Amino acid sequence: MPYHLHLIALALYGVATALALAPFAGWRTAPRGLVLAVPSAGAAFHVAGLTQLPSVGLAFALSLLAFFIVFLQVVSERVLRASAVALFTAPLAAGLVGLALLLGLAPVTEPAAGRNLWLVAHVALSVLGLALLALAFIASALYLLQFRELKSKRFGQVFQVFPPLERLDQMNRSALVAGFPALTLGVLLAIGYAVRFAGGFHVDSAQVVWGLFTWAVLGAAVWLRVGRRWTGRRAAVLSIAGFTAVLLVYLALKLTAPGSERFL
Amino acid sequence: MSLALTVVGVNHRTAPLEVRERFAHGAHEVPVALGRVVAAGASGGVLLSTCNRTEFYLSDASDAAADAVWALLGERLGDGRAARPYGYLRRDREAARQLYRVASGLDSMILGESQIQGQVRDAWELSRGVAGPVLHRLFQSALLVGARVRSETAIGRGAASAASAAVSLAGKIFGELRDRRALILGAGDMAELAAACLVDAGVRVTLVANRTQERARAVADRLGAAAQTLDEAWEHFAGADIVIASTAAPHAVVTWARIAPAVARRGGRPLCILDLAVPRDVEPAVGQLENVFLYDLDDLQAVAGQASVERRAEIPRAEQIVDEEVENFWAWHDTLAVVPVLKEFRGRMEAVRAAELQRVFKHLQHLSPEDRERLARFSESLLNKFLHEPTLALKREAEAGDGYLLVEALRKLFHLERGE
Repeated sequence: MPYHLHLIALALYGVATALALAPFAGWRTAPRGLVLAVPSAGAAFHVAGLTQLPSVGLAFALSLLAFFIVFLQVVSERVLRASAVALFTAPLAAGLVGLALLLGLAPVTEPAAGRNLWLVAHVALSVLGLALLALAFIASALYLLQFRELKSKRFGQVFQVFPPLERLDQMNRSALVAGFPALTLGVLLAIGYAVRFAGGFHVDSAQVVWGLFTWAVLGAAVWLRVGRRWTGRRAAVLSIAGFTAVLLVYLALKLTAPGSERFL
Repeated sequence: MSLALTVVGVNHRTAPLEVRERFAHGAHEVPVALGRVVAAGASGGVLLSTCNRTEFYLSDASDAAADAVWALLGERLGDGRAARPYGYLRRDREAARQLYRVASGLDSMILGESQIQGQVRDAWELSRGVAGPVLHRLFQSALLVGARVRSETAIGRGAASAASAAVSLAGKIFGELRDRRALILGAGDMAELAAACLVDAGVRVTLVANRTQERARAVADRLGAAAQTLDEAWEHFAGADIVIASTAAPHAVVTWARIAPAVARRGGRPLCILDLAVPRDVEPAVGQLENVFLYDLDDLQAVAGQASVERRAEIPRAEQIVDEEVENFWAWHDTLAVVPVLKEFRGRMEAVRAAELQRVFKHLQHLSPEDRERLARFSESLLNKFLHEPTLALKREAEAGDGYLLVEALRKLFHLERGE
């Protein structure tokens, strides 16, 4: 059942991607209601599938990340009318769900192990933090593309479809500011879980390194944006660099660290 | 001869500006003008008067009412000139189509502009007392048609004039323009016009700077801003969000050297500079400054031109929506014609029922009041059942535009009055 629910979600995310790309293919911009309804419907099927999975493993983490990304896409569209975010989020979510399906999704078999509230909250908050970092990256990419369009006086589809610069800057800032406490709480819950239920830390060092590195990157980005008041292009480059570093460190650890088969 | 709907008027296609200016009616003039036209022979009227059109929408208007419009407009022209050669007269479906096209921006000078929607609403509000039910429905539906055309097509997308392109460009940088601060360089008409567009979008003009402070003060007073000379203005680039440059200087007055120190103090906030002067007021190097977005008239026209092309491509779809809605309105209008006939028909049947009931009661004196009441209710119920299907059929046919034959048959069969 979770497999089929994920398949439906994947199909709807594919439609959301097509809707986002439509103006660039010379088609009419889709009505806002449809732009909101399609990913929302996908997210509804997706969350129904997620509730039937144990909250452990790479496939679950990827699927949860995809769900949060789509959720943030819908929120961005509703609050900031930033439908262009879907250009990145919809295919990214579709790719992550596809990857999760390839890795294999199995229903809950051992409720006690997979459904500990601490563990569920730790995974959910950590993945939410990561999704917000991804959203900050996407807002930054859109910012730089719109910035280039405005500076070079090209008034094509990017100019027409992408949100205004300051709105993208605000989205980037909000995503970072919301992402940092979520990830911090996720890390604290992991420590709490280890102490209370697992009798100490029994996780791969690679996982700890990557988690702390991501937390540090997000913290540094928030400090520069809020504490040092970085805005605009500089802040956008910062977010892109931070997210890229997190991805590269993940890949490096995955390939080189011992025990990487258990590592997310 | 009177027809259901008539529009008599002029617009930007049929009359030059100097004529349209004379025909334009202020809000205080509308009741008098409409009163005069309606008194000449119409059951209702709405006057839509903007800088691009003056149109009298009339219901059940006689030819005399149309003549009254031409006479009224002719008087405003003066010198015994006739108004009729500058205008048009459309009847029934074409009159409804005219208003729907106007409300949709299809008849506007700038295709798809949305300001007309508000002007149609204002005209309707202003004429409510004399509009009558048909025009009330027509204007109400016109606003919905305008909204439908704008939501289902891209006719209103983008900015189609240089002034709206300026607002659009600033909007693409700042998003929300409300409470943004603007600095105006120059005190000519162009600068003031562009400033007015920004003010309409919620921008606050904080400073008007000009070569001579007296002229700057005159414009600044109208915009609620401070006035300074140009040489004092460069410092203010640190605090402004939008700068409009439109001086009459023969060379660039806004140079990299003059504003770079102020721009450096902005802390990375974007600055939008709109150079509306010919020759240009801002040297191109200024556009190289970090977070400074510089646009000249050619850029604004490029934005406006692109929007116009995109809007024109939407005309067929928009016209299709207008056609559909005209037919919908006319279907509703046709049902109006059957209402008085149906009313009379039912009245006649009701009179027959009441008379027959009284006749029966005379023969059945022994009936108790309860039984009489029961019998009366039975007769009412029977009548309603008999009339239900024919009533529905007549309304259906009327909505489909084929009600006339049935109405005539009903009149002949039941000897109904011909007048409405």
